[in-house]
Amino acid sequence: MPISKEYIIKRLILLIAVVFGVAIITFIITRVVPSHPEFLWAGAHPTKEQLEKARRELRLDQPIYVQLYYYLLDFLTGNWGVSWRTRQPVLKDIQAALPATLELVSLAFIIALIIGIPLGILAALKRNTRIDDLIRIVTITGASIPVFWLALVLQLILSSWLGILPSAKRVDEYIIYETKFKEITGFILLDSLIQGNLQVFMNALKHIILPALVISFYPLGLSARMTRAVMIDVLNEFHTKSLAAWGLPKRVIIYKYALKNTIAPVIGVLGLSFGYTIIGAFLVEVIFVWPGIGYYAASALISYDYPAVIGCIVTAAIIYAIINTIVDILHAIIDPRVRI
Amino acid sequence: MFLEDIRVTFKLIKSSLTSMIGFIIVLGFLLIGIIAPYILPYPEDAWGVSYNIEKSFLPPSIEHPFGTDEMGRDVFSRVILGARFSLIIAVGVVGLALIIGVPIGLIAGYVGGKIGEALMRITDMFLAFPPLLLAIALAATLGRGLLNTVIALAISWWTWYARLVYIQVNSVKTLPYVDAARVIGLSSLTIMFRHILPNALTPVVVQAPLDMGSAILEAAGLSFLGLGVNPPTPEWGLLVTEGWASINRAWWISFFPGLAILVTVLGFNLLADAIREASDPRLRRILLVERRV
Repeated sequence: MPISKEYIIKRLILLIAVVFGVAIITFIITRVVPSHPEFLWAGAHPTKEQLEKARRELRLDQPIYVQLYYYLLDFLTGNWGVSWRTRQPVLKDIQAALPATLELVSLAFIIALIIGIPLGILAALKRNTRIDDLIRIVTITGASIPVFWLALVLQLILSSWLGILPSAKRVDEYIIYETKFKEITGFILLDSLIQGNLQVFMNALKHIILPALVISFYPLGLSARMTRAVMIDVLNEFHTKSLAAWGLPKRVIIYKYALKNTIAPVIGVLGLSFGYTIIGAFLVEVIFVWPGIGYYAASALISYDYPAVIGCIVTAAIIYAIINTIVDILHAIIDPRVRI
Repeated sequence: MFLEDIRVTFKLIKSSLTSMIGFIIVLGFLLIGIIAPYILPYPEDAWGVSYNIEKSFLPPSIEHPFGTDEMGRDVFSRVILGARFSLIIAVGVVGLALIIGVPIGLIAGYVGGKIGEALMRITDMFLAFPPLLLAIALAATLGRGLLNTVIALAISWWTWYARLVYIQVNSVKTLPYVDAARVIGLSSLTIMFRHILPNALTPVVVQAPLDMGSAILEAAGLSFLGLGVNPPTPEWGLLVTEGWASINRAWWISFFPGLAILVTVLGFNLLADAIREASDPRLRRILLVERRV
């Protein structure tokens, strides 16, 4: 049965409402909470002219609803201010940094799925054994570990002490020049594959693997635990029990019938973990000098580049809202009960 | 009923090794957090008011179990005192979030109608932000400092409690005893705070202390971005960040504070996991039956 159009439209309207809400709250935080917003927007050590200019740009001499109107207008037309550090429009900077972050987070989720699901199945089959305990501990540790500290420690051991993996950046610059690599989508792994440039691909893979592993730790534990819980429930249901009674081998029951039932809840829980994971990615980017949004935001924070900081926060919130929408729609496609 | 809950929970804690470990860690953290200033081997180092350059970058030894930092300060003392600041932040964030969230959930649930709807939509707007992101925005606006950190985190936190209370109030307010209270002419305020609130608080009372682990973790994240407390306050996240610059020379400066965060948050989460299982009705029944036999 195809998924109903009304559900998708309803979900998209909700998405617009959420983005609107994000804009309103950001307005309150940036314009209403601080007593002198122009100081935040004029950069570090502003001159009198800069302050005057910021005050004019923010329309601080006008009533608050006029400010809100122009704020929303700017927000919608992509006029998110100019970064004090790079002297570029904030939106342009963010567009340049976005692919690096998305590539990193996508790989982290892929790792979480391809390790987490089999691990969860294993735990369900070997219930109440050591493996089961281990997965419980991995899951809880993943939610308890300061991700930037884990990144620091692993970087120290694997890069500085053992020298196995590179410690920073997405790819070694000299290989880019030597092999005449061209950016197409901004995803280096994808672009190098399209161009058949294996040298760049391997180099980029070596760079991305450690940060991606660090970020995947949290969603990996979650997906393993969710798979385990659903698997145990499914294996106890009558329809799987009757399959066993018919004499189907356990392997077939698990992989052909039971696994299908675990996919919807696992996607659901990964969707829920996305917000936490992307924040983790931001912090990890700072450690690995990964040129994504997190690194951009952290550099902006250090140099009091307020428009850039707020731009990054709004971007992350919008990505979060979009991912939630996609997950909900996917959920509805896989699990018909949600559509109601 | 409430006593029974506690008894079952303790039974569950005793029955599993991991939750026992969690319980001990949390207890230890609370204890150290309270007595920290009185047990410091090097109090001046801990508060960050002294420095002896000749003692800088000493590796872990018997005198300095966690080594010394670039100012020659004892890292162990700083980590111990850090427990106090983490405890203050955790209690502050959860407490302030409760003060904001519980009344909003209560009013939204009891009054209902358009006001309740509006309050819950506002709550939803806050939930549109990924965790920590709103706190980053607020902290960037308010500036550094212990109080600002607590405020920034609490404002991104209260929505969870508002929702929990809202759901609970909705199921309690239709019970006959509330109708009875209304019939004998008690005022809305009395009914709300004296009769509904106590019965709607249980899930929040269980949840809130366990959230302290997450509050510590998020505060550390803020400090790492340069938004948390001011140096030289020995907050654990800040200690990790301070040691970052010299990590290749002296790994211990960053390592031990981070380990302290991991162990403490792990303790809270292990305990939370046990209590979540305790609220699973199937498991409860088994335990209760066992006790009666």
